[in-house]
Amino acid sequence: MFEQFLDSILKADFLFSIIRITAPVLFAALGAVVAEKAGVVNIGLEGIMSVSALFGVLFSYWTQSWLAGVLGALVVGVLLGLLIGFFALKLKTDIILAGIAVNMIGGGGTIFLLYMFTGMRGNTGALVSQNILIPTIDIPLINSIPILGEIISGHAVLTYIAFISVFLIAVLLYRTSLGLNIRAVGENANAAESVGISVLRIKYIAISISGALAGLGGAFMSMYYSQGWNSGMIAGRGFIALAAQAMGRGEPVGTMLSSLLFGFAQALRTKVSGLQGVSSYLVSLIPYVFTIVGLVLYAISTMKKVRRYRQSQPGTVES
Amino acid sequence: MINRRMLVFNLLRGAAAIFLALAVGFIFIVLSSDEPLNALRYLLIGPIFSIRDGVMSFNAISFQTILAAMIPTIFTGLAVCVMFSASQFNLAGEGSVMLGGFVGALCAIYLNMPGWIHPVVCVLIGAAVSGLIMLIPSLLKVKLGASEMVTSLMLNYIIMFIVLHFLNFNFADRSKGATQTFPFQPTAKIPALIEGSSKLSWGFIVALIFVVIVALFMYRTKWGYAIRMIGINQPFSKYSGMKVGATIVLSQVIGGILSGMGGSIEVLGRYNTYLWRELPGYGWTGITIAILAKNNPIFVPFAAFFIAYLDKGCQLMATYSDVPSEMIDIIQAAIFLFFAAEQFLAKYRQKIVVKNTRLEMGLKENNNLAQERRNA
Repeated sequence: MFEQFLDSILKADFLFSIIRITAPVLFAALGAVVAEKAGVVNIGLEGIMSVSALFGVLFSYWTQSWLAGVLGALVVGVLLGLLIGFFALKLKTDIILAGIAVNMIGGGGTIFLLYMFTGMRGNTGALVSQNILIPTIDIPLINSIPILGEIISGHAVLTYIAFISVFLIAVLLYRTSLGLNIRAVGENANAAESVGISVLRIKYIAISISGALAGLGGAFMSMYYSQGWNSGMIAGRGFIALAAQAMGRGEPVGTMLSSLLFGFAQALRTKVSGLQGVSSYLVSLIPYVFTIVGLVLYAISTMKKVRRYRQSQPGTVES
Repeated sequence: MINRRMLVFNLLRGAAAIFLALAVGFIFIVLSSDEPLNALRYLLIGPIFSIRDGVMSFNAISFQTILAAMIPTIFTGLAVCVMFSASQFNLAGEGSVMLGGFVGALCAIYLNMPGWIHPVVCVLIGAAVSGLIMLIPSLLKVKLGASEMVTSLMLNYIIMFIVLHFLNFNFADRSKGATQTFPFQPTAKIPALIEGSSKLSWGFIVALIFVVIVALFMYRTKWGYAIRMIGINQPFSKYSGMKVGATIVLSQVIGGILSGMGGSIEVLGRYNTYLWRELPGYGWTGITIAILAKNNPIFVPFAAFFIAYLDKGCQLMATYSDVPSEMIDIIQAAIFLFFAAEQFLAKYRQKIVVKNTRLEMGLKENNNLAQERRNA
């Protein structure tokens, strides 16, 4: 049984599926990175993904264009980000509660919205056709390389954008003045304010970017991964993205690696559940257990680092 | 007199928030329904009054259903009050309810005991297991600084899949079409409060008793005081010698116990066999209730009644008109946003504070000033 299992994961298609499964979580996790850098906790990622996933399908159906669908999902993501921002920053609702509210909209609210716009209940089955799904690309040259081509080429457009976004977000955060402002606001909002940075504006921008990225993640889910929207399809990916951000120490590349770890766990789950004599329920635990274990390992390593730092500086007071 | 003005303001502010949330709901109803007035009628008065031939009459059965629906959410609301009072956003109430219900159900099937004692033992075991599971997010937070929010969210899924695993592979009654356990022993059922078809069990009374217990705990014991102080100012609590870590763990274990108790009481009071195959949602409702109650246990039953009423209204609306019952989530989200908004109507509060302060300066009651500042 074990050999059969090893055979199945040592294949190009397994690595291909890791990349495919990672993409939506990566989008949302990058959203968490940007928000967190500005000192904003965006727990609404889950809900944003769900609503955007719905509107991605709706916009693409109305316009019969996948691009319009993706852009629509992105805009909806930004709007929901701004909704959280408006209540959290302007009306001072606790930002975690504002996020939970958006998650409620993403839960039952989407079922209601779907009915309101289309009269359908529960899923968008009949709306989706092949021409409004996100297309896949074969990368010339690379696709002719054996194995590597099979793994890297042939993904959806949005998959590539997800991994390019890692680079873009890193550049945004560390090579632009906006990124500097975002980090300054997150590090110390008062200090940032004192040198003339509009903290409120920066936080609004950060949470909009966060919403946009989660929106793309949602579009990926409904317009490529599941080929249609149904309630509960996000299945905690927005929450896992929060964990991936924490595990990746809030840095784009680290977050990509932890998202890949989740992708690996999820892909493993699909493979293992195909084996006989294995409980599909226990296998379903893998990504969530991975996440907690990852968080714990990260926390332990941080603790050690802090302790070492303190030991090297005997005069410091424990805070 | 001064505090009363603030109280009146807070009540009016809450009413305005709820009104706005309902207004948002109405807009969506009007947008989605062909017969909005009919839908509204079922939403607002349907839960308590039945209308036949234009005559409204009190519907006792429906009223009992609403009370019955409050049983699990009072418990989760209390749990969230305790956990959020310490400013710890543990969201595993959802999983705790399911776990408590499942463990309670297993005890109801496999333990042999006389009536009355049996359900008590089942509920206590269910609550204890749920309390223990809360050690995971709380200890990870206190010892390692891992976000309790993220770990508790993951924990919900982990609990769900573990329960499903045992339900399907170890305890399933294969003679039934649906996945469910064997029936509970008759001794384990929580008896109905009122004879008849309603699901209103003695659990309702137990829930109300726990409202009082939790209120006393939060406002009349040093542990409750420590929990609330940590929520208000954690560094201050630490420097004044409170055991911050232990208190945070305590608050979350209590949260787990209360949610687990709610889950097992709900399962033993409402069903004859365990059949939850997904997270039941009471944990999230508990958060809405705690927000409406401003984390004060005494207000929890009222908030739970309001939500149960709305929920029933949404179900009726879905049955008798063309608006889906998931409408409730939109209204709940709006309530959430407005009710928890500190700055909502803040200008008026500012005026009251200024007026109060002037009064107090005149009276030179410095003690009251400190009190007021804390209230504000």
